[in-house]
Amino acid sequence: MSVTRPGSIILGVSGAVLIVDDNPRFRSRARRCLENAGYDVVAEAADGAQALEAARRHRPAAVLLDIRLPDRSGLEVAERLGGESRPPAIVLTSTYDAADFGDRVARSGARGFLPKAELSYARFAALVS
Amino acid sequence: MSTLPRTERRRPHRLPRRVARSLAETADPRDALAGALRVVGESLGWQFGAVWEPAPGRPEVLHCVETWQANAAAHDFGLTSKSTLLAGGEGLPGRVWRDGEPAWIPDVLANSNFPRGPAARNAGLRAAFCFPIRSAGGMLGVMEFFTTNRRELDSELLATMATVGDQIGQVVERRRDTEALLAKEARHKAMLGTSLDCVVMMDHEGRVVDFNPAAERTFGYRAQDVVGREMAELIVPPELRERHRRGLSRYVATEEPTVLDRRFEITGMRADGTTFPVELAITRIDLPGPPTFAGYLRDITERKAAEADLRASRVRIVEAADDARRRLERDLHDGAQQRLVELAMDLRLARSRLDPDPAQARELLDSALEDLAAATAELRELAHGIHPAALTEGGLRPALEALVARCSVPARLLDAPDERLPAAVEATAYFTVGEALTNAVRHSEASRLEVEAELVEGRLRIKVRDDGRGGADPAGGSGLRGLADRIAALDGHLELESAPGVGTVLRAELPCGS
Repeated sequence: MSVTRPGSIILGVSGAVLIVDDNPRFRSRARRCLENAGYDVVAEAADGAQALEAARRHRPAAVLLDIRLPDRSGLEVAERLGGESRPPAIVLTSTYDAADFGDRVARSGARGFLPKAELSYARFAALVS
Repeated sequence: MSTLPRTERRRPHRLPRRVARSLAETADPRDALAGALRVVGESLGWQFGAVWEPAPGRPEVLHCVETWQANAAAHDFGLTSKSTLLAGGEGLPGRVWRDGEPAWIPDVLANSNFPRGPAARNAGLRAAFCFPIRSAGGMLGVMEFFTTNRRELDSELLATMATVGDQIGQVVERRRDTEALLAKEARHKAMLGTSLDCVVMMDHEGRVVDFNPAAERTFGYRAQDVVGREMAELIVPPELRERHRRGLSRYVATEEPTVLDRRFEITGMRADGTTFPVELAITRIDLPGPPTFAGYLRDITERKAAEADLRASRVRIVEAADDARRRLERDLHDGAQQRLVELAMDLRLARSRLDPDPAQARELLDSALEDLAAATAELRELAHGIHPAALTEGGLRPALEALVARCSVPARLLDAPDERLPAAVEATAYFTVGEALTNAVRHSEASRLEVEAELVEGRLRIKVRDDGRGGADPAGGSGLRGLADRIAALDGHLELESAPGVGTVLRAELPCGS
């Protein structure tokens, strides 16, 4: 259970977030960024397989998902997660530009795309609410 | 000694017949003249005869090309004649040459126009006559005879000699034409014989007419075995024969040249059935009657192999360039770009914590400074790997010194040129040394490395030596192959010497001129 924090009010449910990225330095900064805003980062995953496993175990309300993962495309993971019952809100991210992925972001079922350099709690919150 | 029986001599009217017989017996034009001199001289019983012709290269002057004497007394006169040159009108031969008419001198010693007077006196020669040697083409020269007594003009004899002069001229000219023709044929045969290209001649029915030595060697047939046989059966691969036959019969019927007089590449077949690429040009030989063709063929197996190598090398170079760009993109993305992303996140977070938590903000700013330093270092390394600033600014010496200094195994630069070289040469030399050092460090277990670059007669010679375990694969990895391609593209060459247990020496040579 979580304490009422700005993030949880906006989400409306528990502010549980899963961060998926193979770069631990990015994961730690993203965690700091989101936790400072009141989200509860319940798990981190370094590849697609870990991401699906963690999503099954923790049933997060939102997922910050890197498109470039070592074992499969983040877009594929997004589609898999979208097929579950009560799917989480997915925010795709990358060092690359959204334009590099064309319309595949839209077709993946994610709520939207955030470039890593522009990650802030406000923009994340805007996408998942 | 005379060869004619006594009864035959001194019968001038028989001369034409005797001369004709003598001429018929000789094939060589020189022998014809010599024989005619002897026959006439002996028949008349005179003592000396000679033939004069225009001197080679100086047609206005006569020189003596042939002499005959009945005995040794006239020998010196012969020598004098052979070393004399006469202008038109000068002396007896000169007069006859100029006038084109026979001439008779009763006493040469009393004649004012006789330069050889003293020699004639010594030889006891007094009377002389001379007549033109004429052919259809004009006067070939003149023939003269001398005797020891003073003689008055014998008109009949002179007239007979004029006729004999025509006889001799005709035969000598014919003999010379034949000789020239034979020489030309021999030259052409030699040309075909020594030609490196195959020359095959074919008649209008496709049968081999001629097959030169190069064709024999290339196709593996002896000329004598293939003349008269169908060429398509011999040197055209089975699947191409019908096309060849159709083409030939179509040309013979229509005279429309579609393949004549241009080069094209086809496949040829050797006697043993193996095929090989051939460059072919066919011309029609201009002779009366049905067409005869000459085919000029060249085995281009080596050329095709070289072209294929060149194509493959170019593909490798383009792929290497693409690979390098991909690697660069990846290095930038995974390295410096990540750092900058992390930097942005730290700064953004620091800003948001500035009021609520200044201490955390300060920590985040310190972290940001570290990210920045790391990013800068990554970019510097990257730039250095692409093209080091030292090379552009200072040339090979400082760039190689830097390479050697960064090497993890002790390495020394023994020598490097101080002068600047063309950019492509400097870059290739730099990357060659870099690759060689990298390979040595990675594989050779060496304890010492030496690098040398020397400019010798417009060529840059590079040597990288290690004292490691040797046994390096001369085909090298893709790194060495990529280098070999770059070096070949500059017309240089690369070699690797790597005796097991002794160490490895990589040598490269690059031309620096334009």
